Amino acid sequence: MTVLFRRRELHSLAAPYALDALEPPEQQRFEKHLRRCDRCAAEVRALREDAVRLAWSTAAPAPAALRDRVLMAVRTTPQEGTAGPTPRPHAAQQLPGAYAAQRLPGARAAQSPRARASRLQGLLSPLAATTAAAALVVAALFGVQASRTQDQLDQERAQAREIAHVLGAPDARATSEGEAGGQGISVVASASQHTAVVTAAGLRRPTNGRVHQLWLMRPEVKPRSLGLFDGDTPLVATDLNTDATSLAVTVEPQGGSLQPTTAPIVQLALKTVGFGE
Amino acid sequence: MEADELLVLVAGGDQKAFEELYGLVSGPVFGLVRRVVRDPAQSEEVAQEVLLELWRSAGRYDPARGSALAWVLTLAHRRAVDRVRSARAAGERELRMARRANGPAFDHVAEEVEAGLEREWVRRCLDRLTALQRQSVTLAYYDGYTYREVAERLSLPLGTVKTRMRDGLTRLRECLGGAV
Repeated sequence: MTVLFRRRELHSLAAPYALDALEPPEQQRFEKHLRRCDRCAAEVRALREDAVRLAWSTAAPAPAALRDRVLMAVRTTPQEGTAGPTPRPHAAQQLPGAYAAQRLPGARAAQSPRARASRLQGLLSPLAATTAAAALVVAALFGVQASRTQDQLDQERAQAREIAHVLGAPDARATSEGEAGGQGISVVASASQHTAVVTAAGLRRPTNGRVHQLWLMRPEVKPRSLGLFDGDTPLVATDLNTDATSLAVTVEPQGGSLQPTTAPIVQLALKTVGFGE
Repeated sequence: MEADELLVLVAGGDQKAFEELYGLVSGPVFGLVRRVVRDPAQSEEVAQEVLLELWRSAGRYDPARGSALAWVLTLAHRRAVDRVRSARAAGERELRMARRANGPAFDHVAEEVEAGLEREWVRRCLDRLTALQRQSVTLAYYDGYTYREVAERLSLPLGTVKTRMRDGLTRLRECLGGAV
C-alpha cells in the first residue's frame, strides 16, 4: 500500500506546486511524477491559471528605464538554440548588474597564440595601452582554460562584448588599489558607458564558504551590490551611476548579502576614472 | 496580436515582436515581482532578468501546457520567489530592515498605480475565502513561503495546508468566474 500512499501524497502536492511553494527536491520529484500523470498535469494547468489571476491583479507599470535596458540588451543577447543545442541557462544564479564570475573566451583550445595576441591588441588599442591595471584585467581575460558548454560560451561571448565595449570607449580609464598585504582590485571604467570591468588580485580565499562581494558606493545612498568575485575572473558591472565615488570589497556569507555586513577589505576611489561628479 | 502568437515570433528572433510582447507583459511581470520581492531596486533587477529570459528562452513555451501569460507569469513568480528565499537565507534581519526602510513610500506608489478593476475583484474574492485558505494561498504566492513554512507560521499540519491551498485556489476560480 506504500506505493498507493506515496502516489496520493504526490497528488496532493499539485496546489503547493502551482503556487511555487515546494522545496527544490520535492519540486523535482513532483515534476517527474507530472510527466507520467495526465490527471495531475491537467490539475496543475488549471491551478496555475488560478494563480495567474493572483499575479494579474498586482500589475503595475514598469519603469521606463527598465524598458530601455531590456530592449537594448535584447539586441546583443543570443537566444537559446540559435547556436546549436544549449543546456538550461543559469540566469537565476547571476547577480544582476554584473555578469558574475563567468569565464572568458580567448583561451579556447583552437585559438593560436598569434590570434590571441591580435585580438588582444584589438581590444586594447583605444586605451592608453600599458597601465598595470589594464594588464591585470587582460591577464585574467586570456589566462583561463576550462572545458565549457555551448551555453557558457554564449555567455562568455556576451561578456566579452561588454568588455570590448568598455575598453573601446573613448573615455575608458584604468586605476587600481591595493593594501600592504597584496589584496587589491583593478578597474577599467567608462563613465560614458556606465560600465566597469573589475578584477580582484591576491584576495585571500575566505573561510566557511564566505565570498568576496563588490559594492558600488555613492554619497547618501545605500551601497549597491555589483556581484560576487569568483577567483580572479573579472566582474563586468553595468548601469553604474555616474555619481559613484568608490568601489569596495567586503567578505560576506555564502551567496552574498543585500547590504555589506563587514568593513571593506579594500576600497578604490573612482574619481580618476571619471566618476563622482 | 496575442501573447502566444508573439512568443512564437520572438522564439524566431523577431525583436519587433519582443517589443510588442514587452508592452503586454511588462506591467504584470513587474507588478508581480515587486509584490513578492518588495524592495524596489531588487524588483527592477529581477524583472529585468525575467524579461530577458523571455527573449532567450521563448522557444521553450509549449501552448499544450497552458496559456502564454501563465507561462510568462510562472517564470516571473519563480524568479521572484528564488530571490526572496535566497535573501531570507542570507539574512532575515537585513530583509526586514530593507522592507521597513522602503515601506511607506513604496506602498503609497503601489496604491496609486494598482487601482485596477481586476485587483478589486481578486481582493473581493480573496475576502470570501476562509481566513486559513486566504492565508495559505497568499503567504505562499505573494510572500514566497514554502508550504512547510506556511504550515509552521500558521501552526497547521502539512496536510491541512495543502488542502487549504487547493480549496482556496478552487474557490477563487469559482468567485472570479469568467471575469477578466
